[in-house]
Amino acid sequence: MEARHVYKTYGIKNPKKAKKEDAETCVDIKHVVEAVKDVSLQIRKGDIKLIFGPSGSGKSTFLRCMAMLDIPDKGEIYLGDECLTAPGVDLNKARARIGFVFQHIYLFRHLTALGNVELALRKVLELPKDEARKRAIDALTEVKLTDCINKYPSQMSGGQAQRVGIARAIARNPDIILLDEPTSALDPELTGEVIDTLRDLAKEGTTMLIVSHEMPFAREVAEEMIFYDEGGVVETGPPSLFFNAPNTDRAKQFMTRIINRTTRE
Amino acid sequence: MFEFLLNPMYQGWIVQGLLLTVEITLFGVLLGLGLGTLLAIGDIYGKKPVRAAIAVYVEIFRGSPLFVQLFLAVYTVPTILNIQIDHAIMAFVVFGLNSAGYQKGYVKGAMETILDDQMQAGLSVGMSKIQTLRYVILPQTYRIVIPSWTNEFCSLTKSTATLGYLGFLDLVGAGLAIKGSNYEILPVWIIIAAIYFVWITCFTKLMDILYEKKRIPGVELIMQ
Repeated sequence: MEARHVYKTYGIKNPKKAKKEDAETCVDIKHVVEAVKDVSLQIRKGDIKLIFGPSGSGKSTFLRCMAMLDIPDKGEIYLGDECLTAPGVDLNKARARIGFVFQHIYLFRHLTALGNVELALRKVLELPKDEARKRAIDALTEVKLTDCINKYPSQMSGGQAQRVGIARAIARNPDIILLDEPTSALDPELTGEVIDTLRDLAKEGTTMLIVSHEMPFAREVAEEMIFYDEGGVVETGPPSLFFNAPNTDRAKQFMTRIINRTTRE
Repeated sequence: MFEFLLNPMYQGWIVQGLLLTVEITLFGVLLGLGLGTLLAIGDIYGKKPVRAAIAVYVEIFRGSPLFVQLFLAVYTVPTILNIQIDHAIMAFVVFGLNSAGYQKGYVKGAMETILDDQMQAGLSVGMSKIQTLRYVILPQTYRIVIPSWTNEFCSLTKSTATLGYLGFLDLVGAGLAIKGSNYEILPVWIIIAAIYFVWITCFTKLMDILYEKKRIPGVELIMQ
């Protein structure tokens, strides 16, 4: 999967809360946020890359552009050989090949864990009932959640719910999984179980692009870390680079702060 | 005092009247829900002209008396268009259209509380917007809407009382007819009111049970 010179701009703080009216008037708004400015990134099959950087720098917007949940203003997104930003592309088909895990989990609230994973298998892949169920259970087994397949999202802990979110993303065997700060909305003691799940996926060679600040985990699994700030990639390199001596001052400062915070905890 | 209830002819009127009231209310509320849902979706996703048209529609039906709407639909419109159409059908349609004007608001309100994140989630697994509406948004919306919908049902049931004065044999029409032939006023209206009361109470209790059964565990009622 590849992003080439992607740009995304919006005129208000929270694009998700934006109404159509706001989008129409945003030309007049002075403080337009340039969340993604000329970002290119390539990720090959089996790669695990990790994006990190200050909050509000546009990491999530970029990830959402990769998943075509936000449509880039400019630039191209490729999935395999297919250009997703070309006109006339069936975005639903494209999104079916991409798994996405949300920071705030976003499970379907009216469905059980099993229902959450099953729905896309039934309606998108159009599998027969038995097979969809079998694959959903397989996915839930993979995230070690066999004991709460019949629970509703509100009856699970944050960590369990996020693991259902991961199961929902992997059940379709997507080409890549994009994870937008999968642990940052969870209590510290619950991040561990989610990280363990991601570690398992990493071992199996799952292609992943993760926005995260879980540094020990990054060090362990990421082939490449991408420091992202103010709408663009500042520095890219293997974890060893960032943990020893990043080239840019901004990355240095950020790493120092993060590592201090981690050791304090 | 209530001897008229033993008269088979009066009994027949009351049964017929009740059936018409029930039919028109149920049909009207259902048509209103279907149309109200479409209007809500149009209002959320539609372009400006669509939204403007929906706003005009809603204002017309909410802003004018139901009696006038009924009168126009049942007597004036068929005359102008010079068509023969069953009065009851026109009444059905007016109740549906009128109810849609109100139910659009309930449905839209409920949809907006869940739309943001649930639509994102639906798209992220590869479903289309329509599929997400169908399998994710609407099932949750309707669960939230049940209490408002119950209110709408009560209010619409009583609005159908107008029909009696337009010459229909609904419950009120039956009351008027009986009163006209036996000159007893109070007992007749007591019975008619009691029938409305029993029907509405039973139905709302049923809806309460449905609401409890269909409640999504852990998701509390969002006050309308």
